[in-house]
Amino acid sequence: MRVFGRSRFVAPVVVLVAGTVIAGSIAIGHTWSDAAIAEVVTAFLSIGYYAMTRSDSDIGAVYGNRADERQLQAVSRASRNAMIVMLAIAFVGAVVAVAMNDAYWQFDVLGSVGGLSYFISLLIYGSHDESTKGPTDLMSGQSN
Amino acid sequence: MSQADIAAGLGVSRQTVIAIESGRYSPSLPLAFRIARFFEIPVDEMFDPQEEVEA
Repeated sequence: MRVFGRSRFVAPVVVLVAGTVIAGSIAIGHTWSDAAIAEVVTAFLSIGYYAMTRSDSDIGAVYGNRADERQLQAVSRASRNAMIVMLAIAFVGAVVAVAMNDAYWQFDVLGSVGGLSYFISLLIYGSHDESTKGPTDLMSGQSN
Repeated sequence: MSQADIAAGLGVSRQTVIAIESGRYSPSLPLAFRIARFFEIPVDEMFDPQEEVEA
């Protein structure tokens, strides 16, 4: 499992699976020919992602699942920026939809789930107080 | 010794070696100790935070 976890195939396979699911929904809701086009585009995207995993760059390392600590830090910052942009778009979308008297629940769901995920992530990854009232002895790694 | 050799020896990317060399990235403690061991230099000789403050 760990071998697959660090494999260069993860990102291309995720793209391929996600694109195939979207192509399936297009086949159900639209036409088979539209679905075929979506699948071809997905295949090209997946190949593109695989090609990117070979590049000797930060992006290649991240998509190729071989990121080191600095690159993981970049991933963390990029994820934060991406979430801020998504929340901003959800906010603007909700405002515009409400102003146009249109359905706004999609934007509400995006914003709420994004905000809740942020809060839960802080709880999970934040430092937890272990009630060290006295002075802490960092040298021995123990607290009084 | 090339940056690629150092990167391979430390188990990090070449780009990270470049970033540390140029002062754009401060390594974590475990990586700092790995670097010090790799070059066989005490870690406080390799990384001097005072130098960054003065710069």
